[in-house]
Amino acid sequence: MIKSIKYFVNQFNANISLDENLIVKKDNRYFLVSEHLKRLITKDFFFAGTYLGKIKNGEFFPSFSLLRMIAEKKANKIIVNKKAEWLFICRRDIFKQGILRVVGSQRKGDCSLILNRHGECLGFGKVLCNLNKDKRRVVVKNISDIGDFLRREIQEV
Amino acid sequence: MSGKEFFARRYERLGWKFDEVEPRQAIRINSMNAKQTDVLKRLQSLGMELEKIPLLKNGYWVCKSKFSAGATSEYLLGLYSIQEAAAQIPATLFTELDDKTVLDACAAPGGKTVQLADLMYNTGAIIALDIKKRRLVALSNQLERCRVVNTVVYQMDARQVSELKVKFDRILLDVPCSGNFVIDKDWFDRRTIKDVEKNAKLQREILAEATKVLKNHGEIVYATCSLEPEENELNIDWAIRHLKLQVEKVNCYGVEALTNIFGKKLDDSIKDCRRIWPVRTQGFFVCKLKKSADA
Repeated sequence: MIKSIKYFVNQFNANISLDENLIVKKDNRYFLVSEHLKRLITKDFFFAGTYLGKIKNGEFFPSFSLLRMIAEKKANKIIVNKKAEWLFICRRDIFKQGILRVVGSQRKGDCSLILNRHGECLGFGKVLCNLNKDKRRVVVKNISDIGDFLRREIQEV
Repeated sequence: MSGKEFFARRYERLGWKFDEVEPRQAIRINSMNAKQTDVLKRLQSLGMELEKIPLLKNGYWVCKSKFSAGATSEYLLGLYSIQEAAAQIPATLFTELDDKTVLDACAAPGGKTVQLADLMYNTGAIIALDIKKRRLVALSNQLERCRVVNTVVYQMDARQVSELKVKFDRILLDVPCSGNFVIDKDWFDRRTIKDVEKNAKLQREILAEATKVLKNHGEIVYATCSLEPEENELNIDWAIRHLKLQVEKVNCYGVEALTNIFGKKLDDSIKDCRRIWPVRTQGFFVCKLKKSADA
């Protein structure tokens, strides 16, 4: 599991250290817990501590908590303006004019976290072209965004 | 024994003249994730007009908003939660929460679990239970959205919590109840006294189990959104007599709870519980109970 997480994190040119002893699994979902919490897990739990993500068909799907953890480190980040933030949360891709700043790699094919002006992580995307040179309008493809919380709520109803 | 007239007459006998109440949306700022002043500034810049809720540190009524309060970046980032004003009271009544082991026995959809984590600054541990798996999904989404990291969630009936073999410092019992007409417009058509009595019995069973897993000198906060005395004052009177719990005085919105219910005299300390008649909030009842060493 640690391998899948580390591989995922590396895609952002980042590194995070996780204590394998504090990672607990429930079905295909993985959680990071504190020592205190780990001692309290005495039977089949549903959710615990920080949700890291799940593995489905061999692919790792990160949680927003894990993305936030990566965002606290040195990593590929694209900071967007207010309008691009809202569009991104609504599952839309990022236009070049919505980008305020780029940290780390700007190369085609790289993964990058998407942050708002306040430095808060909104999700992540894949860079579609070289951000320095390309003049295309859509430059980052939305892979996952926090609007998902709202979409999940709608699904539950 | 049902219908609007029947219940309105009961409320009048308990000292409140029935009146229609419009529910008001409220939010609570998650101070573990952002400074209150920063969140307020951001929401005001979006055109949201807010009014501070008296006696609640992080609570605001939404007076006017151009958009749904549940569809802003700030909400999705966990900077605030949508939580009815009276429902924000129970978690604030515990004396001290840092580093404590806390049980949220009927936790879904998780508004109060997030609030407990916020009050604990994500320290200590919360064990959150709910009986229905579908509701646990909603609870888990709330925890992830609001960046709660100190909680373990179990699918479990609160009446079986002793199976976990954990002793708790604090227990929140926001028990399943009959609800009230403010949050359910068909309430009078659906509810009968039989429902109320059935819920009251379930609540007593939960109270008894919670008392078993509460440490000596530990605290239980018991809350319902019911106006019916069977689920409130009468249950607390039962807990004092059968579980040897003591009522602790609380300082919050609401009036003294009733110590005489339809001619039945209850323990005098019950006046220190709070009954919230629906005026600016929904109907609510809340009280703090303490377990002494010899209970």
